[in-house]
Amino acid sequence: MIGTLRTARLVAAKDLRIEARTGEVVISTAFFGALVAILASLSFYLDDATARRLAPGVLWVSIAFAGVLAMGRSWAREREHEVLRGLLLTPASRAGVYLGKALGALAFLLVVEALLVPLTALFFHVSLPPVLGPLAALLVLGTIGFVAAGTLFSAMTVRTRARELVLSVVLFPLISPALLAGVVATREVFGGAGLTETLGWIRILAAFDLVFVAGGVLLFEPLMAD
Amino acid sequence: MTRPGERTTLARDVGDALDFDAVTARGLVKVYGPTRALAGVDVTLAAGRVTAIEGPNGSGKSTLLALLALLARPTRGTLRFGTHDAAHAGPSLRARIGVLAHAAMLYPDLTGRENLSLFADLYGLGDRGARIGAVLERFEIGAFVERPVRTYSRGQLQRVALARALVHAPRLLLLDEPSTGLDAPATERLARAVDAERARGTIVALVTHDAPLAERLADVRVRLERGRVVAAPAAPSAAPSEASA
Repeated sequence: MIGTLRTARLVAAKDLRIEARTGEVVISTAFFGALVAILASLSFYLDDATARRLAPGVLWVSIAFAGVLAMGRSWAREREHEVLRGLLLTPASRAGVYLGKALGALAFLLVVEALLVPLTALFFHVSLPPVLGPLAALLVLGTIGFVAAGTLFSAMTVRTRARELVLSVVLFPLISPALLAGVVATREVFGGAGLTETLGWIRILAAFDLVFVAGGVLLFEPLMAD
Repeated sequence: MTRPGERTTLARDVGDALDFDAVTARGLVKVYGPTRALAGVDVTLAAGRVTAIEGPNGSGKSTLLALLALLARPTRGTLRFGTHDAAHAGPSLRARIGVLAHAAMLYPDLTGRENLSLFADLYGLGDRGARIGAVLERFEIGAFVERPVRTYSRGQLQRVALARALVHAPRLLLLDEPSTGLDAPATERLARAVDAERARGTIVALVTHDAPLAERLADVRVRLERGRVVAAPAAPSAAPSEASA
């Protein structure tokens, strides 16, 4: 039978191929995230120092909102023509389907973040080069946890009627530890802290990732069974 | 078209997939919350026979098909594929099951060929190119298979969906309202494909409200009402299929 990693590769490659053809998830998500950042900069801007203090929250809020949107769009593809049912009919590893969807969503969100980070830095007067390394580590770890939890709950809600509402209501409380750790750690990085000084937050984010990736791999099959 | 005797070769190609000659359900019960979708169904599906499963909406037809497709687990009862218990042989059995439903189960933004390639890979087919070439020829879909699925007519969509359902040469073919939205020529093309599968010895279960199609195809007819088999099949004398309440 086809194994977990091969299934994950096939499913992720399929999502990337569709996205390269349509641009549907990344474009709509990036526009939404950018709009959040721009509106926040117009509303909250007082001076350079205040702007820099606001930047971490604005960045993570726009990522979180954009992320929920990306999850919904990505799973809408599995709903149309009931393709998810087609995937589940194959002997392919269910954990592989989960990982493939999560990898695809991770790729979409990292692209969106690559656009949002410079935009937020520009509007909130953050000098990116000195903070780029630690910030990238925080964003990658935070995004892995977000898509791990988001993929699992998107799959659960894909057949429900008010799926976007249900997803938001369930997902945001669940990922709040990762969001809080991300915001606080980013604030410290923007305040001049280096990678070693944010190690505690990075450990929290890594633990969150581990729990949700493992949970997703283990729970996806039973959740899809009925 | 597939020649008689090809079954043996295809069966060998499916690797560690399991083989079986009949599917037997005994006392199948499926409960969703307060709803008892199936209330103790006994049915046997045999090789080379088309068993039509009929009944009104909400009678449990789709639930029975979901259990046969291993998409859901029975609350009670046993489901055996030959000598193999469905509860213990999920992925190996899934490799031998094909499903054609009203929904095409194809990605609209991929081409027909990309969809077939993806599903061939997910079924773990070693000779993907040959299998896809065979279904392209069999269902005459070569002319539009390079176009995105989103651009297909209903008839074209169902032909590619049929190719997807059969690309791995399943032992059990489940048809869930396969003629919905098809015109008469497309329905006849579908019926001929099912005839060919029966001739190859495939086990076929057909859920439909299309009485003429059931009349045309079924060797055995089973009627469900409120989750129970209410009409024993009028089985042809030579038919090895049977069902009972």
